[in-house]
Amino acid sequence: MTPAQFEKHIEPRWQKLEQLLTDVEHAKPRENVVELPATFRQVCHDLSVAQHRMSPQRLTQRLNALAIRGYRVLERRSSGGWEAFVRLFLVEFPQAVRADWKLFWWCTALFYLPAVLIAAITPAHPEWAMSLLGPQGMVQIESMYGESSTPADYVRDSFGSGFAAFCFYIWNNVDIDFQTFAGGILGGVGSLFVLLFNSIYLGSVFGYVHYSGNPMTLYTWVIAHGAPELTGIVISAMAGMRVGWSVLRPGRLERRAALVLAGRKALPLLIGAAVLTSIAAVLEGFWSPLELPPTMKFSAGGVCWLAVAAFLMFSGRRQADAA
Amino acid sequence: MATARADTLQPVELADGVEIQLRVAGPAVRSMAYTIDLLVRLGIYLGVWIAALFLVLPGIGMELTAGLMLLFMFFMEWFYNVIFEAGAKGATPGQRSMKLRVMSMTGGPVTLAQAVMRNFLRVVDFMPGLYLTGIVCMLFTRRFQRLGDLVANTVVTYADPPPSPTPVVEIRAERRAPAQVLTREEQAALLQFIERAPLWADERRVELSTLAEPLTRAPGTEGLRRLCGMALWLQEPEEKRGTPPPLKGAPLFRS
Repeated sequence: MTPAQFEKHIEPRWQKLEQLLTDVEHAKPRENVVELPATFRQVCHDLSVAQHRMSPQRLTQRLNALAIRGYRVLERRSSGGWEAFVRLFLVEFPQAVRADWKLFWWCTALFYLPAVLIAAITPAHPEWAMSLLGPQGMVQIESMYGESSTPADYVRDSFGSGFAAFCFYIWNNVDIDFQTFAGGILGGVGSLFVLLFNSIYLGSVFGYVHYSGNPMTLYTWVIAHGAPELTGIVISAMAGMRVGWSVLRPGRLERRAALVLAGRKALPLLIGAAVLTSIAAVLEGFWSPLELPPTMKFSAGGVCWLAVAAFLMFSGRRQADAA
Repeated sequence: MATARADTLQPVELADGVEIQLRVAGPAVRSMAYTIDLLVRLGIYLGVWIAALFLVLPGIGMELTAGLMLLFMFFMEWFYNVIFEAGAKGATPGQRSMKLRVMSMTGGPVTLAQAVMRNFLRVVDFMPGLYLTGIVCMLFTRRFQRLGDLVANTVVTYADPPPSPTPVVEIRAERRAPAQVLTREEQAALLQFIERAPLWADERRVELSTLAEPLTRAPGTEGLRRLCGMALWLQEPEEKRGTPPPLKGAPLFRS
């Protein structure tokens, strides 16, 4: 078969594929759409033959473009919509946290230990916390959680202000989650930096409030939404470390492949962390500013911490057994 | 084909076993697409701000409006690209206007997970400013991938095949067998030469064919003629035909 004959021979096939693809891409498939996969394979075969025979470029380019188009159409899959999203959060996310439990505890320790340490030494050596907070930070804390403050100071009466606060926390805190994750690709340094910075800052706030403020105001305020919020930042840092670690220690894989794999593993963590932080934003916007007796606040806060812990420990276990 | 060296074609093997060529897009054209997207985003922000100021604000009050605007900004910052890239076209408006498309390295469309991954890592690619990290990373990878592309396993390609002019030209040269056996790469080079030669000026043709002087053993126009003859021979060696071929004026292209 001469090149010209070959070209003529395969022309009906790719023209058919072109027509089928145009139909499908405009969401108007006709009856013969069932022939699409077979025609696609046939054209792929023609492309291989054309490449091997070094057919003119206009032919190989046309077949190549058709193969790409056809593959896009055949490989398109729906993302699963809300059902997949709910499954991602309820099943895959806790599973991913449990699968990497060592990393989770490392990140938890890296977040809470420096905070507790600096909070513990502040009453004896307040200069550390003071230098971390700076004069402005101290003024702000005095005004928010000072000795004269009471839990009732934070009551928001209107739905509007609660909603505005909720939106602000989404915009600010989920943004921080995403950035913490992204920083992880630099060998984990970015995530680690955000984690430690937040840890030390938080520690000095708590320490300083104990030193010169009214801790009750602070604790009744943060106890409930702190559970999902702090867990969220720890897990987003964990997702970043997951990716960063694959850069540092790809193991037996090629570094590029390890990176792709780590990215896939980190995604449920990242999305889960974002959802936890969003839940925290809801609590922070609508629950925490409610005027309730401290006992009520503390018991609800305890329930929040228990719920987050139970969720991470038990959610999705049955699906893991079934799989 | 063995010609992937001097251009931006990247071979990818599809699940169906066939190898396709992706034309990956470089930093320049992607920067332009990004700039267009930036302008589009600014336009959307401006429109929504004005709408919020005059339509929403009087209706629901300051606090709710401010909250909604913050939410809107959050989604625009993080999900503008994600939604467009994971959509059916696989491209943001800016990318579409530059005829670009985001693809998975497997040759298929980008999944939602991949779109999230490659766009959330923009923060790092942007550092320390103006996407410096991303551009440096693109220059060091064969497929112009920035960090986000590496993690998500995606690549930005041209959406359309390049326009291939197909002039109908009769090449008048005597079909002749090359004096030595040519490798596949050399054959491909010859075939592409004769395919594209009609697009060039005479001087350029001669200049290029002079490079093949060790093969043609003749300088200048005579070398060009011999080279064309060999290419014609490669396309259709005489032995394969039952009847003796015409010595001159075999039409090369069918329109």
